[in-house]
Amino acid sequence: MIGYLTAILVVVLISALVALALNLQWGQAGMVNFGIFGFFAATSYVAALSSLAGYPLLISLVLAILTGVALSALVALVSARLREDYFAIATLAFAEAVRLFLLNETWLTGGANGLPGIPRPLSAYSSGQSYELLFFVMALVLAAICFAFAEALTKSPFGRVLRALREDDLVAATLGKHVLSFRIWAFSAGGAILGVAGYLHSSYFGYIDPTQFGAFVTAYAFMAVIAGGRGSNTGLLFGAVSVMVLLEGTRFLKDLMPFLDAGQAASLRLILIGAGLILLLIYKPQGFFREHRLRVDKGDTK
Amino acid sequence: MLQILLNGIVSGLLVALPAVALSLTYGVLNFPNFAIGSMITFGAYIALFFNVDIGVSLFVAAGLAAVGLAAVALLIDRLVYRPLRGADHVTLLVASIGVYFVLENVVRFLFGSDIRGYDVTVARPHRWMGLRVNNEQILIFVVAFLAMVIVWFILMRTPFGRAMRAVSDNPDLADVRGISRNKVIALVWVIAAALCSTAGVLVGMDGIIDPLMGWNYVLPLFAAVILGGIGNPLGAVLGALIIGIVEEMATLVLPTTYRQAVSFVIIVLVLLLRPHGLLGKPRISR
Repeated sequence: MIGYLTAILVVVLISALVALALNLQWGQAGMVNFGIFGFFAATSYVAALSSLAGYPLLISLVLAILTGVALSALVALVSARLREDYFAIATLAFAEAVRLFLLNETWLTGGANGLPGIPRPLSAYSSGQSYELLFFVMALVLAAICFAFAEALTKSPFGRVLRALREDDLVAATLGKHVLSFRIWAFSAGGAILGVAGYLHSSYFGYIDPTQFGAFVTAYAFMAVIAGGRGSNTGLLFGAVSVMVLLEGTRFLKDLMPFLDAGQAASLRLILIGAGLILLLIYKPQGFFREHRLRVDKGDTK
Repeated sequence: MLQILLNGIVSGLLVALPAVALSLTYGVLNFPNFAIGSMITFGAYIALFFNVDIGVSLFVAAGLAAVGLAAVALLIDRLVYRPLRGADHVTLLVASIGVYFVLENVVRFLFGSDIRGYDVTVARPHRWMGLRVNNEQILIFVVAFLAMVIVWFILMRTPFGRAMRAVSDNPDLADVRGISRNKVIALVWVIAAALCSTAGVLVGMDGIIDPLMGWNYVLPLFAAVILGGIGNPLGAVLGALIIGIVEEMATLVLPTTYRQAVSFVIIVLVLLLRPHGLLGKPRISR
């Protein structure tokens, strides 16, 4: 039972990190990253390859983060000037290109077969169920650091500029803010968090292949961000947990409807995800939490 | 060389049909419809149902698929996009990802994920002046050409088309002039559905039918529409032809598995160098 519980919690943490990255990029900075699964895949593969090459935890983690930052900065540099819908298309195209690379460069990525036997970190210190717990604690610590990082960015003057850019970049530019560099930084910060998520993903499952990274990752992340209230980091935790509860909960559909085969049950779950996303947009577009606002005490306004 | 050009034109025409559909919906509804790929898939499967499970000829099945998909598109518009009318385009494009999930997985739910094919006899390719041409290619050529002429006629020569272009140019002004936006949108969905299902059937005849068939066309489609200039159907056709030819040419130097990367490169280049596309007018964004 503890094994199952920690497994779910680790998965929740990973998807919360992906959503956290999206919340910085889209929620704060207004950059619609539809290709988030491509960045996530790239960092996961880098983490996996460096772990397989025998590098220790910290180095693999740092490599994954650097990959996330570098790719994000590159993509943002090329496309940050674009309008939102064009940006979405460009990032999606990037992600599909990553997927093509992963599928076809078999010598490096194992192609469609993926990479098995990725070493698990810290396994020298513990084993069995207590290892699951140890991994969960490690994931929790990493996620907490990312969360604190995102929260600090949000509340800093940097975060304020991002929100100003999102609302109207022309005004921000008129006020002397360098729009492009702010966007690149924001996008790269998201990329760093995706690096942590990628590291956790590959080292937790010990096996990765290209099918683990598809448009559904983007859909989950958008759902979590929208449910949590765009821009709110606290709300995001709620969003990520509720999306995962929905996902895990629908696993039991098969027990309720035994006449469905495994493929049908899986597709029914994805239908529910799509429908959930649409319902959320129609009925609760602001989400359940509000984003951080600067509070001014009445005494200060004199 | 001529063979490559021919293959490129044919595969470009295949992209052109849904690209026109994408361009029309983009222009009138003002958001990139990521569900376009699953519309192609859905249309192909409706035809598959009538052709294989019921046993009518593929020609009739394709017609029924167009009607069926139009009904589905109108239903989706009523349930999803109409409540979101007036929302910003990010909301709409996220919603279209939701629609994509529902459509593709309804297909998986009903038909499974296996590779299928239509009930048609495969003929030997013809040889003509040193070129190898198969029947599917001739059919694609004829059907795509006819479809494009029909759409062009509707757009340019009928009151409906004029209304559609008016809404695309300036929805508020069109509204003031008494053009019903919802009627125009409904017509756009019907045309888009007919184009997508036709493309789906043609893709299915030429290759295979599986739930991912449409998704594989999403990138070339967007590349074609962006290249031609968003909201410009004629540009979309031109863009599609260029994509088709460049993809075929690229197989000379690149492994065939990287065909799709061509679309990625084209999207990046166009967005960097000429974001309004070849035939589009520069618009002030936002």
